[in-house]
This record gives sequence, structure tokens and C-alpha cells, in this order.
Amino acid sequence: MSDEGSEPAVVRLSGVRKEYGEAIALDGVSLEIHPGEAVAVMGPSGSGKSTLLNLIAGLDRPSSGSVVVHGDDLGRLNEKGLALFRRRRIGMIFQFFNLIDDLPALDNVALAAQLAGVAAPHARRRALELLDELGIAARRNTYPAQLSGGERQRVAVARALMNRPALLLADEPTGALDSRVGEQVMDLLLDLNQIGQTLLMVTHDERLATRCASRVIEIVDGKVARERTLERA
Amino acid sequence: MSAVWVAARAAVRRRRLQTTVVGIVVLVSTTMIVVALGLLAVSAGPFDQAYDRQNGAHLTVAYDRAKATDAQLTSAAGWSGVAAVAGPFGQATLEATAGSAGGGRRPAMPLTVVGRADPQGTVDQLNVWDGRWATRSGEVVVNQNPAGPGRSFDIGEQVSVGGATLTVVGRAYSMSRSADAWVTPEQMTALRPTATQMLYRFTAAGTTSQMEKDEAEVSKGLPAGARLGSTSYLVLREEAAREVATYVAFLVAFGVLGLAVAILIVANVVSGAVVAGFRHIGVLKALGFTPTQVLVVYLTMVSVPAVIGCVLGIGLGNVLARPLLSQAFRNLGSEGIGVPIWVSVAALVGVPLMVALSAFVPAMRARRLPAAEAISAGSAPHTGRGQRVQRWLSGTRLPRAVSLGLGLPFARPARSALTMAAVVLGVTSVTLAIGLGDSLTRYQRAEARSGAVQVEVFASGGPDGGSAQDEALLRSVPGTRYVLGAADLMVRQVGSTEQTMLKLYKGDTAALGQLVLEGRWPSAAGEVAVAKRFLVQRGLSIGDTFTVEAGKGPIPVRIVGMVLYNETETIIADWSTAALVDPDAFPDRFEVQLAEGTSVQAYIDAVRKTAPGLVAVQPEAGEEFILIALVTFTLLTLMLTVVAALGVFNTAVLSTRERRRDLGMLKSIGMTPSQVTVMVVTSMAALGALGGLLGIPIGIAAHRVVLPAMANAAQVGFPDAVLNVYKAPTLVLLALAGVAIAAIGAFLPARSAARTTIAQVLHNE
Repeated sequence: MSDEGSEPAVVRLSGVRKEYGEAIALDGVSLEIHPGEAVAVMGPSGSGKSTLLNLIAGLDRPSSGSVVVHGDDLGRLNEKGLALFRRRRIGMIFQFFNLIDDLPALDNVALAAQLAGVAAPHARRRALELLDELGIAARRNTYPAQLSGGERQRVAVARALMNRPALLLADEPTGALDSRVGEQVMDLLLDLNQIGQTLLMVTHDERLATRCASRVIEIVDGKVARERTLERA
Repeated sequence: MSAVWVAARAAVRRRRLQTTVVGIVVLVSTTMIVVALGLLAVSAGPFDQAYDRQNGAHLTVAYDRAKATDAQLTSAAGWSGVAAVAGPFGQATLEATAGSAGGGRRPAMPLTVVGRADPQGTVDQLNVWDGRWATRSGEVVVNQNPAGPGRSFDIGEQVSVGGATLTVVGRAYSMSRSADAWVTPEQMTALRPTATQMLYRFTAAGTTSQMEKDEAEVSKGLPAGARLGSTSYLVLREEAAREVATYVAFLVAFGVLGLAVAILIVANVVSGAVVAGFRHIGVLKALGFTPTQVLVVYLTMVSVPAVIGCVLGIGLGNVLARPLLSQAFRNLGSEGIGVPIWVSVAALVGVPLMVALSAFVPAMRARRLPAAEAISAGSAPHTGRGQRVQRWLSGTRLPRAVSLGLGLPFARPARSALTMAAVVLGVTSVTLAIGLGDSLTRYQRAEARSGAVQVEVFASGGPDGGSAQDEALLRSVPGTRYVLGAADLMVRQVGSTEQTMLKLYKGDTAALGQLVLEGRWPSAAGEVAVAKRFLVQRGLSIGDTFTVEAGKGPIPVRIVGMVLYNETETIIADWSTAALVDPDAFPDRFEVQLAEGTSVQAYIDAVRKTAPGLVAVQPEAGEEFILIALVTFTLLTLMLTVVAALGVFNTAVLSTRERRRDLGMLKSIGMTPSQVTVMVVTSMAALGALGGLLGIPIGIAAHRVVLPAMANAAQVGFPDAVLNVYKAPTLVLLALAGVAIAAIGAFLPARSAARTTIAQVLHNE
């Protein structure tokens, strides 16, 4: 884990407010995430933690306040700018994997690089390396429907890492997995963080948070209710 | 209110977009069908009604008075198949001259005069619509259509006919065209008739073969050569319906195409609704809806917009058909002719029925679907479809947004096939319309000899104002390349009451004469060339001989060629024939082709300086029918293109809605809005490209059927160049038409997909 004070923050939120009509999802949230950190965002349903993730991923825009990720002020980017930002800076892992059913594992992973204009052979080579690192290279030609939940999530992680993102975002990454497979995914995320990957995850799972995160941010009613630093084993 | 109706109404409201698409598609298709069927249904109606009102003659025959006596003719007319007969009437074709109101003279013209005591009778009851009937010698009544154009004589005008001076006392109209003018029998005797006219109505006269049999029966026992000529009402009927029949040929083609597209799109919409509504179907069944009630819900869902679209289409079709009918039947006093009510009723029953049938197959799928399976199924496409294609595409060098788009149609092959079929029909329509438009334009240019004849030159003093030296004078004007001198003489074919124009040509006929379609250009005295319509209407062929009268006695002429010409009553001959008809004639009109690089206006100015007695002008513009047809093609093509694009639009909407999770994911990993647009548009453009390739040959085949059908209906011949209009650049443009239709249809859903808020989609299953 890196020293928080020595490098500029990867994520900086200042007074972020997000409204959906009358409802206030986030209310004046300010926080920073530094390189190499693994941060877990926790809170009850409807507290605003997924909204927070969406804003940091550039999937949504704040009603007020600023979101700066890796030096990019997301409020100043247009739709194309946000897409390019996501492509270059962000890797995302979802609870339900969100793989494309028509593509085998290898092509699902390679897709992220191909969208950036990387030629198919190069993209596939890099995708194979990642699948190999994550231990599922043997399943590279298998379609998502034939993969287990854990394997699907590993493919999703490989896809998220494809463009060497500055920040890996995970939304309930173990939420759709049984406990044994969930453990494997936790180990994977921990390993990634230990080799320097900055990680922000939204989770209900206290075990995931305590095992993988160095810091926990608790959101209640759209506000940061509590922050705590964890000592990982 | 029944539960089925409540559920169906809710389904209609939930699918506003698809409901609107079905409504518009059915509206456009119904409009085309109503116009086509309406024209087809009334194509002969106004003529038949007007003809029956006059007890028009089924057959008008002129007999040689020297060979058949009145008693013989009356006896022969006693055959049991004759329902009514009028005659014998004395008949003569005489040269007539009349003074104009301004004191000037009118050109002499041949006039078929018949002696009749009474305008009424059992056959050919004349409508004396102005003045009165001739009751004494020295009076004449002229034949003129009150609603149509034609030669006009004023009441009280003096007409010199065959040496006698007659006063016009009335104007009457004979739909049978039995004469140009009528006098009393006593006056006719004084005019020395050369023929006897008999007018027949038969008990069976519906077909050409029946008419031939009837004519043979009433001529039985008469001396050989007694029959000089005859006119069948079927020819008149066909002529009256000719313009309508020309419209019908292409309107039927477009109507069928429109209905086919509508069926495909409706099937696509309903199958899409079934697939997207699996959970909805499960819920309905879980609530206690029987399988048949579910079927009815889905059929009702599509029938509501179909009926609304159909009713609006029927109204629009009736409105659009009216001007076409009025234009086509303008000479029959046809104001107020409309589409028969049965056409509207048939469309109201038939079109929604066709729509319901096309919805039946996918609705049956909803009926059969087990409730538990339906509830548990998502709306995402089945996995495993098109995977090989997707995989292959992912390895190509194409931009990933493009390769992803190319693979999308394979995920739902049935829907893609229906969409592509709609595009195929759209491209077929465009191909057909462009081909017909090009063919008609080429025909018009060839018929008018556009490009060949750049300047027309007339004698400034009127028809007889020129001189024999004019041609030489014109050839001396700089810039003259070819000159064709022409003179028009009025003659009459024996046995016909129609005035016939004998066009005599002199000069560069090879370069400027009408295009010869069959046979050859007339080159000797007594040889003529005619239009196809002339041959068809008279049952003549190349090589046949017929007789014309020009006030100087009968002149036999032989048909040696069929030329590209649109006038029925015109005979074209070489100048050598002038010696037989009017030896003193000289060209009073010249058609000129200019040397390359010569300005038309400069040439006209030069003619004015060199030959002040001549007036040079540019040729007139094309025919009104062709202009109307071109406008109609364009409108129909636009309508069908919009319908086909709506089919693509519907598919793109269904596809993007079903794949919104994938789209969200792609955006989350960095797909830009423009890449999303490219992907969705590409998915449809691929279908469009394939549809284009299939639609072009079908359109060309349809063109090869519809154009000859139009030409047959119009009784015109045309050269191969009019049919062979599809050249490489046109084909390339047509191939792009499919892509364009698909791209236009897919663009809005693609843009909408590109703007989709993805956060919500990705975090929920």
C-alpha cells in the first residue's frame, strides 16, 4: 500500500450532490482515494453508494460539486470525453458480470482494447495473458453461459484490467457468488491491490471489506457517516 | 369491459412506438391498395355508363353502296343475335371548308357526313346538347363532345360540303363516333353518298371474338368487298380506359409491394412484442388468462392500430384516386367519379385480416408458452446464436464497433430475415420506380426526338404561308446540320369516322425521322409507317394495305413500318406520297438538328435574320401523362421507402431495448456514443446491403413485367433502350439504396441507444 500523502489523489470528490428529481442520493460528499489504496464503500440499501460509484466511473454526472479522477474533472467532459475516460482510466466489475453472451471469454476480455483501436491479434494476446494470470486461460474459448459464476467474474476482472486502468471499480463483486467462489474473488482483488492496483468497491459484505480494503467509507442517507482505516492481515 | 380488452389496451399503450409503426405502415399500404384497386375497378366504368345511356353502337359498319343494297343489309341485320339496329343511313366523306368568325378561312378538312332523320332511335341515341336537329335540306348538325376538346363549329356558321353550302343548326355528341356531321336524308341524297352506314347492338358483345362472330353474321350473304370498314365499341372502350390502365399496371405493382412490406413489418412487430413480453405473457397466464385469451390479447394489440391505419388509408386512397380518375376520364364528363364503395369495404375487411394473419404465427407462440417458463425467461436473446460469426468478426481488422454491429443480426436470425425482407421490398420499389421513371423519360425523349430535333421552324404566314424555297433557305443558315421538312394533310381511313393526319416528310429522314421499331421507313409513294396503337386499334399488321380518302378519291396505302409515335390517328409517309394526295403540297414546317456547338438561341436569331418569312422556336415540352406518372412514381417510392425504413426502425428499437444491458456494459468499458451509433447503424446497414443486393434483381424483374404491361395498356411500342435502363452507375446507386433505407431507419434508435443512461442498467439484472 502506498503512502497516502506522497502522491496526488487518484479520486477527489468535493461537495458532491446528486439529486434525482425530489430525491437526494448524495448530499455534499467529499473524499479522496490515493494510489494503491483499496477502499470499500458500505451502507444500507438506498444510501447512495452505487450513485457514488457511478459518479466516479463517469456513468452519471453530479448535480453539483466536482469529481476529479486521475486529473480529469469529469464535470467538464462531454459524452465522448467520458467514454474515453472510462476506456483509459477505469476498469469496472459488476455484481452480474455483464459479459456479452455471444462472445467467448477471450473476446469478451479483448473487446475493451479493441474498442480503443488495438488490433485484434494484439488485443487477444494481452487478453490471454490476463486470463492466464487469473487462472482461466484454459476456458478462453468458452462462452459465458457455459462458465461458472466465479469464472465469469474472473473474465469480468480480466476485462476490467485490459487497458491497465488507474482505478478498478467493483460493484458488489461477490454479490452473485456463493461463499466459496466469493472467497476466490476476494483473494483475486487482494492480490491485485497488493501489486499496486487502486481499488474502490461497493459492498454489503463486511468480510469482503475487512479482507480486501485498507479503508472503509460508510454512507448513510447520501452522506459520509464514518470512515475507518483497517489493518489487513 | 372484458379482461382481454383491458390487457390488450394496456399492451397498446405500453408499446406506443410499435403501435404507431403498425398504424403508419398499414395506412400507407392501404392507401396504395385503394388507389390501385379503385382505378382497376372503374377503368371501364364511366365509358360503359355513358355508352349505355346513348345505346351506343356495338358495331358501326360502312358498306359499299355499289355492292350491297339497303334491302340486303336490312335482311342480314335480321340475325337473332342482333338486339337492335339503326340504318341504313347514307354516308359520304366530303371535303369541308368553313369561314371563321373573323372572316378568315379555315383549312379544308374531310368530313364524314351521315343522313339521319332523327337523333334518337334504338341505337346511337345522339345527345343534341346545343341548338337543334337538322330538319330540312341546307342544315347540318356537327358531332362534338361537350366535355372534351375538338373541332368547334359555331351555330349559324356556313359550311361548304361537297359543293353544297350548309348552315350549322346544332351540335350533338355520338359516343359511337358514327359521323362528324349529320344532315337530313334528303340532303344526304343530294350529296351523293358513297357508303351505307349500319349501327348494331348485339346480345353478346363482351369480347373481341364475340364481336368478330357478330360482324361475320351480319355480313353473311353480302357480296364480296361490300364491307368497306367497321368500328367496334371495344376499341373505343379500350381507348377510353387506356390512360387508367397505364396507371393501374404500376399502381398494382406498388400496392402489392406495399401490402407485402406491411405484412412483414406487422409480423416483426408482433414477434418482437412476444419475445420482449415473455414475462408479461407469463403474468397474464399466472393471473388466469387462458392460452386463447393470450392469443386474442396479442391479436387485438396489433389489430387496433391496423384498423385505425386502414380506415385512414381508405380515406386517403379515395382522396388521391379522385384526381387521377378525373384526369383519365376528363373527356367523358367524369366529374365526381370516385372509388367504388366495394373497394373501400374490401380494404376495410381484407387489410386488417391480412395484418391479423401475419400476427397469428407469433401470437400462437405466446399462446403456447408455458407460464412458468415465460415468467422465468428474460427478454435477452438466446445465447449461442451467431457465435461463430461474432467470433470470426472479432478477429477481423474492422473497427470493433463495426464488427460488433455486423454480428448483431445473427443473434435473432428470424427477426433479421423479416427486416431484411422489408428492405428487399423497399429496394425493389426504388429499383422499379427508378427504372420506370428512366424508361418513361427515355420514351418521352425518343418519342419527342429530344436532342435530335433542337429547333422547329414554321412559315410565319400560317400553314400555307411558306414556299418551296424555304428548305433551301434554311439549309443555308450557319449551324444547320439536318433538316426535315413536314406537311400535315387531313385524310380519313375508309370505314372510320376519325380524322387521320397524314404526315409527309422530306429531307433528312434517317437522322430526324421517328424511330422505326419494326419494318422500315416508308420510301415510296403509297408506303406508310404508323404507331403501334394504330395497328392495335385497327387490327392491322405491317404489310397490310388500307384505303384513305382525302377528298380526291380513295388511295390505297401499305404499312411498311411501325414507328415510335404516340398519336393514334397519324400516318407517316415519305414525300413521294404527296403526289397521290396533294401534288401541290410543300413543307410548311421544318425540324432542324444543329451542328455541334451551335447555340439554339443564336440559331433562332440567325434564322430570323436570314429568312424573315420563317419563325424558329424550340420544341414543346413533354406529355402531361409522363409528368403525372413520374410524380406518382416518386410519391409511391417515397411512401414505400418510408415504410421499409419504419420496418428497420422497429427492429432497431427492439434490438437496442433487448440489448440495453450489453450496450451499458460496452459504454462502461469505453465505447463512445458515436461508436454505439455506428454499431447499431451497421447492424441494420448490413441487412440493408444484403437486402439491396436481393432487391435489385427483383426490382429489375418487376420492371420487365410492369413496363411492357404499361406499354400494352397504352398501346405503344418502345425500343430496347427504353427497357434496358439499368446501367452500372444506376446499379451502384440502387445497391446503396438498401444501405440508405436501413441507415435512415436505424439512426434514431441508434442515437437513442448512444444516449442511454447506463448506470441503472448495469447495476440491476
